[in-house]
Parts: sequence; structure tokens; C-alpha cells
Amino acid sequence: MPDRSERIREAARTLLRKNEVELVIGFEGGTLPLHSTPCFIRKEGEVDRLVWNSFCDNNVSKYLVKRQERIALVTKGCDSRTVVELIKEKQLSREQVIIIGVPCQGLIDRRRIEGKREAREILGAEEKDNQVVLKGAGWTDVLDRDKYLHSSCQACTHRNPVIYDILVGEGVEEDTGDSFSDIAEFGTKSPQERWNYFSHEVDKCIRCYACRNACPLCYCGECFVDRTRPQWIGKTTEISDTMIFHLMRAFHMAGRCVDCGACERACPMGIDFRKLTRKLVHDVKELYGYESGTSLDEVAPLATFQPDDPEEFILSP
Amino acid sequence: MKPKILKKRDSARFLDKLLREYEVFAPVKREDLVVFGRIHSGKEAFLDYMNSKMPPKEMLFPQLEILFTYTSIDDPSKIETPPSAGKPRLLFGTRPCDARNSLLLDKVFDGEQYKDTYYRDRRAPLVVVGIGCIQPCPTCFCTSVGGGPFSREGLDILLIDIGDDYVAQVVSDRGKKLLERRGLEDAGADKLSLVKKVIRDAEASMTSEVKIDGLAEKLAEIYDDPIWGLLTEKCLNCGVCTYLCPTCHCFDIVDEARDSGGKRIRIWDTCQFPLFTLQASGANPRPTNKERLRQRFMHKFKYFLDNYGQIGCVGCGRCVRECPVNVDIRQVLTVLSNRLEVAP
Amino acid sequence: MRNPYLPLPMRIERVVVETDDRNIKTFSLSFFHEEDEANFTYIPGQFAELSVLGEGEAPFGMASSPTQPGRLEFTVSKAGVVTTALHNMEPGEIIGIRGPLGNGYPIETFKGKNIVIIGGGFGFSTLRALTNYMLDSHHRNSFGDISIFYGARSPGLLLYKDELQEWGRRKDLGLYLTVDRGDNGWKGRVGVVPAIAKEVAPSAENAYALVCGPPIMIKFTLPVVHELGFPPERVLLSMEMKMKCGLGMCGRCNIGHKYVCRDGPVFTLAQLNQLPQEY
Repeated sequence: MPDRSERIREAARTLLRKNEVELVIGFEGGTLPLHSTPCFIRKEGEVDRLVWNSFCDNNVSKYLVKRQERIALVTKGCDSRTVVELIKEKQLSREQVIIIGVPCQGLIDRRRIEGKREAREILGAEEKDNQVVLKGAGWTDVLDRDKYLHSSCQACTHRNPVIYDILVGEGVEEDTGDSFSDIAEFGTKSPQERWNYFSHEVDKCIRCYACRNACPLCYCGECFVDRTRPQWIGKTTEISDTMIFHLMRAFHMAGRCVDCGACERACPMGIDFRKLTRKLVHDVKELYGYESGTSLDEVAPLATFQPDDPEEFILSP
Repeated sequence: MKPKILKKRDSARFLDKLLREYEVFAPVKREDLVVFGRIHSGKEAFLDYMNSKMPPKEMLFPQLEILFTYTSIDDPSKIETPPSAGKPRLLFGTRPCDARNSLLLDKVFDGEQYKDTYYRDRRAPLVVVGIGCIQPCPTCFCTSVGGGPFSREGLDILLIDIGDDYVAQVVSDRGKKLLERRGLEDAGADKLSLVKKVIRDAEASMTSEVKIDGLAEKLAEIYDDPIWGLLTEKCLNCGVCTYLCPTCHCFDIVDEARDSGGKRIRIWDTCQFPLFTLQASGANPRPTNKERLRQRFMHKFKYFLDNYGQIGCVGCGRCVRECPVNVDIRQVLTVLSNRLEVAP
Repeated sequence: MRNPYLPLPMRIERVVVETDDRNIKTFSLSFFHEEDEANFTYIPGQFAELSVLGEGEAPFGMASSPTQPGRLEFTVSKAGVVTTALHNMEPGEIIGIRGPLGNGYPIETFKGKNIVIIGGGFGFSTLRALTNYMLDSHHRNSFGDISIFYGARSPGLLLYKDELQEWGRRKDLGLYLTVDRGDNGWKGRVGVVPAIAKEVAPSAENAYALVCGPPIMIKFTLPVVHELGFPPERVLLSMEMKMKCGLGMCGRCNIGHKYVCRDGPVFTLAQLNQLPQEY
């Protein structure tokens, strides 16, 4: 992965020096191997903290909402799409954010790497060309970067930011299109099999809400799970409650979710959210011909009504 | 009682024997995760692990606990508490950091003034067999907070992995009773000297250190310091750190009604959620993630110490490993420790 | 060993609507079982958790004094799930109680002292309990001068109107009522409680100041009592935080290392100044 870090730092330095922004949100090195972490830079002297590598897997557009400052955001492809949706949903104005666009070649799924190591703790990790060099106590492992990308990165069709003010590198080749073959394949299972699969997944849920809190488009002041009058869902980890939470959150994301994978990455229990959310992404595409986060002008289909919207479900449920 | 030898290859059978007398909970593999679960055969236990995703805190403090059920809202005398457990329970293969949590939870739930009967009913009969850590993780900092990879606090028996065997050290009378008449050999001098070596090597290999001396006073001094805003800015205020923590104990009490009957339950809660301190008037003493994350650190490293004389953290490192945005408690505490007081 | 989470049954005997907006009601409750009543020994300033099964539990300060046996009173402001459910209940209906909880007022230290009570709005309920306790014929002589400053936003929002009239007629206490905004029938003072307290300027000598009310009132009252010469050890506040267990276990109601449910709700200003200024 070409070293974009220096170009990001340069952009940040210039923007801060010229006082075009008050805050730069990007990534810096984490405290553990295979981690990078969101960072907030307000002084020119601090820009050297900014890095870009294959571990920058948080969606930092999360931090844009409810801010008054002018912000520069280090934005990869998926993040740029959530920025588009946030602007359309009036959570921030286009003028408020300067997008430092980063063409992205995918990010590494460290849980998959850690899972393979089992009892051998990883003490260091370095990226070299297209490989990841892992170091442990008395062992080294070299992995092919491409084999350990996040599943959302493997399915990604927008590696290049869809909007940007500054682009820190040449565009990368895009995948031809998401075939949603995994969704089609899953759809061939019987309803009971599918229910069992989702029951199995949400059974792991501990109601920590990391998924919701990591999602940039979950910004409601009062989430439906917290409402008490009326109370929509229970607060327990019983499956009747957790299933409702995940189903309803997925539906709240219908027509908005960009499949950035932030929810999946945040979940400590490894729940497979993306089967649900991708099904909705697919259905919205089929029914309304809409892909979220790609155009500032297109209104999200569930936020508007067209006379020719499909209605079979009303007349023939 | 002299330490005994439990051969690793016999451990499944040993557990099978225990299963006749106890409900046994042990680390098990669930897809890619290691969690604690009830086992029905010794083979299910997965003991070659670093640490589990969730601590076995639920043995003492389950995420969902029914406080009572009621069948009529008009007659509170028809309130029923859940029946007591059946067979006594045994927790096998926990790490010493996780086992230490009982010392801290005892202070909260079994205090002088009020005693939580649900907690006491779980705690009193629970037998705990721990496995010491011969290879502490780089994120472990148990030694900084009064624990250690071979700490015996909270355990009835400590198993020490010396290669092909475990040396089983008895810690309590209950542990002694457990090992009696199991046909286990005494550990010979050669094995015991291996134990010494293993412990020495493990303790020397611990790399994480958090300076705790003077930390509580420092935290009080810098309570209003703007550094808190910077340290907490990226925090998502989710519940990962709390729910994966062996010592976090906050909970919510809610009623669930169905027709004229229902139940009152207690469920885990976290000071990281905005709802935690939100008052019915709409006022919230901890309105942003800064106040909430600050509360977490203040509680664990000062308030708990003030109230109960112990640091409210066992150094297991789960919050470090699992935080979605890499808020690292060790880094935060180091920055705070070194923070010079900002002039007013 | 008694399970501290189990509520005891109580019957609603009487419901009095206190305010003209009907948002505050006082409930008089009686125990089902005599031994429950005998075991429920409390002092003013303590609170109890009232249960409406199926809705939940909420903490309420005791509005009655133990010198008035046979009834427990709680003044409830309609704000959330439990309080709304309570407001919809009638005499004869059953609720549950857990208590008494909390520390209550340090009555022993008040003996022989002058007591200045400054209360506003809904926060007056436990101060009313304390006043009735002190005014009881067995106790009145144990305490010195009693001055009460109490106000509400408007005359219709004053609590315990009948009692206030009785108190106004007594010679052994000074009652200073005020409202933020008067109405056609109001003949009394108009002004915020701290301003009236400042104007009347009760002496701080050998006296305790007890303050309870909404945060804004407290914010403006504390400088007044300070100017009047009350040292922080002799200014008492009754704190309110969201509570659940009432036992110091669920972790919710802490200010610093103190739990409002267990170490409070009554704190001296000196104690509060030692705690993080989280409020």
C-alpha cells in the first residue's frame, strides 16, 4: 500500500496553517499491533501523528455530527459515502468539512489474523509492500495482505472517495460491481434455516451497542432502544429482545447503510451483521435503483415517495 | 495438603468425575471465540487458551437475573423469588485475574450495611479452580494492580502448567476437599522446582506496567483538567469495556409485565451509556462522553479505592484489546499520572 | 437473611392533589402487616423505593414524620414511567415499598440549635417531614428557633397548603412564604426564595441551614447562606440523583465516591465540597 501518510500530513499541515479548518480528524498509530486509532489534531505541530495504513479501519465520519468547527476528515471510500448521507440528512453542511480523500486498498481484519494465532500472542506487526509481517515470542509470520482483508473490503465497490476536496494519491481500481452472490445464496435456504442462522448470531449479543455507536449514521439523540414511553424493546440479552434490536436497527439503516463494516468490526462477539444489512442494501437497489452515499443530489428512497414506487407488498402481501 | 499432579491428558476424565457432583463451567470454544460455558463432558473444556472473550463474571453476577416474579399486581404477597440452584457449581480453568474479581465484588454486594442475597447464594458454594498464566499477554497488567499471573486470591485450587502436567496447589479447605481421594499423585521435588521456574519466568515476562502509586490523589487533583476532553474524544460510549470487565458491577432494575403477571429483573448497565444518569427532568450530570469515560477511570482507580480499600481493576487487559477505538487504559493512566497540574 | 430487593405491600389510603397543574400529588400509604409497620422506623430525610409492579420502582423522600404514626406519606411529581403510573392510581390500590433508605437528617446534632429551612418547589417534601418532626410537642423544646423559607413558582404550585396555613398561625416558628409570580388572590411576598432569605437575613449563630430545591435555587441560595455566615459544616443539602437499587450496589447515584442512596441523600456542604464537582 503506497505510503499516503506523508501526503495526509502535508494536507493537514497546510489546512491548519491557513486556518481553513480548526480540527483534523484522522488516524494515528494504536497502542497494540494491528491497530490504528482515531485521532484529533488541532495544532500544526501535531500533524506528524497522522498515519495511513491497513489498520485504519474505524469510520471516522462518526465524529462529524454535532460539531461546530470546520473539520478536515481523512476519508476513505466507504467513509466518504457516509459523509454524503450525513450531509443529505442535514447532520452537517458540505461547507463545514474538507474531505481529505484517501483511495483505499482495503483494510486488514485483525480478528481473523488473531483468531488464527490462537495461543500465540502477536507482539508486533508491520506492513511491507503487500504483506504483513507478524512477530511473536520466538516466531515470525508473513501474511499476504489481500487474504486477510475485512469482508466488507472484499465486497467494496467504492474504494475511491466519491467526494473529496483533496485527494492524497492516485485512484485505485474499483471492483466491477457487487454481485450480492452471498445474499442470493443465503436466500436459497429455507426460512427455518435462515431463522436459525440469525438466532445463532444474535444469541452472542451482549447489548453493548458497539455496533450502533460505531455506525456514523446512528446519531439519534434518543435511540429506540432507550425510549421508555412507550418502551419498544426490552433491555435484556434474551433472544426476543436482541433479535428485535438487530432487525430494527438494520431496517433503520435501509437505504442509508453504505456497508462500511464499522458495526462488524466493533462487535466484540463477532456477530455477522452484514448478512442483514447487505440484504437491505441489495433490496433497496433492486426496488428503487438506489445506492446510498454516492450522490449528494439523490434523495434516499425511504425519505421520499415516487408515484411509481413498487407497491406489490401493499396489495398482495 | 501437598500439591498434586494432574496430568493434562487426564484432565478431561478428571472433569468427567467432577461432573457427577457439580455443574461444571469451563472455557469452551464457540467458533472463533473462547467463552465460559457449562460443560457436560470433560472433553468440551478448552484449556489451552490465553483468556476468554468474556470473563466468568456471570457465575457470580449474571447479565440477566430475575429478582422476583409476581402473578398479580394487586397482591404483592404473591411475589416469588427464583428457586435456588440445584447441584453445587464449579468453575474450572479461570485465570487468576478473573478470579480476583470476587474480592472486589464481595465489597459491593456483601457489604456491612446491605447484603445482596442473590450474589451471596451464588458465591458461597462456588468452587473455583484457576490456571496460572505461564505466558502473560502483553496487554496484561495484573501485577500493577495487586494481582499476578499466579495469584491465588479468589481460588480454591491453583493449577500450574509445567508442560505435560498441571501441579495443583490447594488454596482453601474447599479445594482440599475437592482433591482428596481423587487418586492424584503428590508432586515430586522435580515438578515443584519446575513450578518455581515457570512462575519466575512468567512474572519476569510481564511487560505492561501502570504506575498506581499516587494515582488516586493525582486523579482527584486533575479532575477538571482539560486533558480529559482530549483523552476521551474518540470514545464511542459503547458498553464493550464495561461488559467485558471482570469487576464492573453496575446494573439496572426493570419490570417486565405480561398481562397481570410479570417479573422484576436486574440487567447489566454501564456508566458509559448516556441513559445511566439521565434524570426524568431531562437533566444529565454526565452529559458527554468526557464525563462518562472520566467516571470510569475515577471509579476504578479512586472511588472504589476510597470506598473499599482496593483498586477496582484486576489488569486483565480485555478493555485494551476489545475497545473498538483503542482507548487504552494503560495509556490513559500513564498520561494522567504524568500530568502536571494545569495552572488555573 | 432478608432479601433487600423485595418490596413490602402497602395500600394507598388517600391521594391529595397538591398543585393546581395536578402534576404533584401526595400519597398516604398504610402497611398490610403490622410487623412491617413496626419494623419501618425512619427519620426525616430518608427515602424509600416505591414499586408499581409491572412499571418499576422509583425513590421518594419521606414526606411524613415518624411522629405521625399510622401513615407514610410521599409527594410524587409526575415525570416518568413510575410516577405517571402512580398518578393514575386511586385509594385502595396496592403498591410496594422498600426502605427506609439513606441517612436522613442528623437530628441529634440539631438539638439545641436554631434551624433555618430554605426550600423550593418540589424539594420541600422532606423538609416538611423534618418540620413536622421538630414541631411535634415532644420535640419542639429540643430545638431553638425555627425559620422556614419556602416558595414555588406560583401560588398554585405551593405544596401542603393547609399545613402552611397552620404553621403560619404558630408562634414558635417563623414562616416566610414567597412565590416567583403572584396571582389575583395572592397577598403574600413575591420574589425568589434566595432573595427572601437574604432580605430576612436569619442569624447563622448556633444555627444550621437546610437547603433543598431545584438546582437553580440551590445555586443562588448557597451564596446567600455563605454571606449570612453559615460555615459549610452547618449547611445541609439533600441531593437527588437517578437511583435504582437504593443500596449502593448498582453504581448509578454516585457523586465521587459517595453514593447518594447510601451515604446521603443528606450531605453537608463541607462534604460536597470534597467531592468532584460533577453537578
